[in-house]
Amino acid sequence: MKLTDTQRLQWLSNDELSRVHEGSCRLLAQVGVKVTHDRIAEILKDYGAEQKGDRILVPRELIDRALADTAKSIQFDAPDASHGFTVDASKNEVRFGTGGQALYVVHKTESGWEKKSAENEDLSRILALCDKLEHVDFVTRPVECDVPEDQMDVEKAKRFRDNSSKPMNLANLVKTEKLDEIVEIIGDKAYLSFIVCLVASPLTMDTSAGEKMLTLLEHDFPVAISSCPQGGSTAPFSEVGELVQLNAELLFGYVLANAVRPGAKVLYRGIPITSDLYSDGSPRWCQPESIRRVALAAQVCRYYGIPCCGTAGVSDEEVPSIQGISEKVLSWSYEAASGAHYINSALGMLHQVMSVAPYQYVIDNIALGILKEEFASHSDREIGETAVQTAKKVLSHFGAEADETVEAELRSRIEHIETGKEPYTDEYIDKQISDIEKAATRQGGSNVFMKGARKGLREGYLYSGSRLDASLDLAPAKKQLESLTPEGGILYE
Amino acid sequence: MSKKETLEALEHSIIMGHLDADDEGYDGTMEGSPGVMELVEQALDEGIDPQEVLSSFNSAMESVGAKFESGEYLLPDMLASAECVGDAMEILEPKLQEGAAGSGKGKFLIATVKGDLHDIGKNIVITMLKGAGYQVKDLGIDVPAEDIVEAVKEYKPDFVGLSALLTTTMIEMENVVNKIKEAGLTDVKIFIGGAPTSEEFAKKIGADVHCRDAMDTIEKIERIKTA
Repeated sequence: MKLTDTQRLQWLSNDELSRVHEGSCRLLAQVGVKVTHDRIAEILKDYGAEQKGDRILVPRELIDRALADTAKSIQFDAPDASHGFTVDASKNEVRFGTGGQALYVVHKTESGWEKKSAENEDLSRILALCDKLEHVDFVTRPVECDVPEDQMDVEKAKRFRDNSSKPMNLANLVKTEKLDEIVEIIGDKAYLSFIVCLVASPLTMDTSAGEKMLTLLEHDFPVAISSCPQGGSTAPFSEVGELVQLNAELLFGYVLANAVRPGAKVLYRGIPITSDLYSDGSPRWCQPESIRRVALAAQVCRYYGIPCCGTAGVSDEEVPSIQGISEKVLSWSYEAASGAHYINSALGMLHQVMSVAPYQYVIDNIALGILKEEFASHSDREIGETAVQTAKKVLSHFGAEADETVEAELRSRIEHIETGKEPYTDEYIDKQISDIEKAATRQGGSNVFMKGARKGLREGYLYSGSRLDASLDLAPAKKQLESLTPEGGILYE
Repeated sequence: MSKKETLEALEHSIIMGHLDADDEGYDGTMEGSPGVMELVEQALDEGIDPQEVLSSFNSAMESVGAKFESGEYLLPDMLASAECVGDAMEILEPKLQEGAAGSGKGKFLIATVKGDLHDIGKNIVITMLKGAGYQVKDLGIDVPAEDIVEAVKEYKPDFVGLSALLTTTMIEMENVVNKIKEAGLTDVKIFIGGAPTSEEFAKKIGADVHCRDAMDTIEKIERIKTA
């Protein structure tokens, strides 16, 4: 999907973006990242970083060097060469793919929806389905395999080889020693890419992830460096604070990546969502404030002019629903318009990242088709309006009447997405850095963020609108699912 | 301040989640005024019986629980109040022990299992448990099974809580459960929790209890204790 320049969003001014960058640099220089991997600590020190106790402090010039060196264009090849593509940071092109190692598959039964633990065969069937879906541009491993951990990498590689002709993102590499065997099974390393969640928020490097990243970079694989803090628990509840922290965690990844391999083929994958502080603190992936924050992360990435791995369409709903569709349409719209090039987890996902559903893949495929048409036919229209009109069309397609109430709710969410509530000033950013430092340097630090959320909660940082609750007509999805899987196995009906 | 006024101020500060003078409290306006930590010290200095101070904690947390149930309070409000009680217990507990009373609710050992660095859920559970009067030993994150077993032997908890956020690390819980049982530590009840876990998973790995969240943990402990 191609966007015009007028469809590109930039909510923050260049001065404000610069302040976010400077804040992240101050955080990395003053607080740094906890690193307990000796080799990585040595690599970073050789690159110019400083060690203070178990934390690595990163001077500003290393960040500038890493951003200058890192790859601006990354090629993703595929077994079917026509599916290959290049992510070029300078272009307004967006690709959509699946996610994200779900544990469960939600099936349609005569009595409703049924959730089952994902099995090997589910991975094969979903990969085969996604291979036929027009709007799946690349495939990130959708579900876990039910094999012992030491067989996981090989099992998933075999199933990718047998069922996918598109660029393959294997997501998490479980055992680094299996990498050569994976490449041998797949047949060509150019088809493969990975995701590494290098830093656990706030500001602690995951030793195992660091080891995996070293191996992947030494083999020159594309890697999406990922961070997924939750505002109010693992990051400040403040949008500004969460963005500064997220950016610091990802910039740390860029420094390490380019210290290991200058020109590293890495993507910026920032997912600054929020915690549901109205109930149990669980993540809110697709609520308006999270859509806004994830979009802002993509805009920061585009400010740097580097390849952006977005995340959009991870519904908070447990089963396919009208509410879920509305969440996904808004999420895709803003992530694409904010400059993400390679949008992960865009199809099939439910219940945060816990479940996928065959029906949901097809629903999302149809919805993405409508979204692309709307973006192409209304290149001068504001994104909010495009999002509303797309959502109304998609909802109507699946049997929900897009009446005044529905439209009012959609517009209310859009207002929340598009309206900033905090100042991007140096003083405010320094206050956030102070809170992040407290949380990062003491055990049980997440309480700092949660307690700090009390004021923001009362000021409406978390959206609390109405759930869209109409019945979902599955006929269009069922028709497509049956035509794509004539053997019927994936329906489980 | 009279004894009554001191205890009322203490109870109010707990309800407002106002930890100390540096803390802004429930509504962001309380910075600079004495918080729970200062008021507990003051109460003890004034010679108020530690058991009466403890009673004010319980009374305050009952009010907080009621406000949470009614929707007036949200999770961070309740957590802030629980943290006040948890931290204040560090001051009060030795005084209660001197009086041979103790809060006596039970001991809970908790850890995020090896390979997992996430601690949000664990920290919420710790805060709420402390707020409810339990003694909690936190082993931290990324804790090897062997270290958990050793800590169970040393600390002798009534309950062990295992936490994991990742689908890739929850399988380590089974290893921990097996090692605790192999060590013959069969009296301790093993609780598990974390986003990817479930009742079904708890049964599969031989854990005693699956907890959805912190409140569920406290309810299930109480249920076990009264069974």
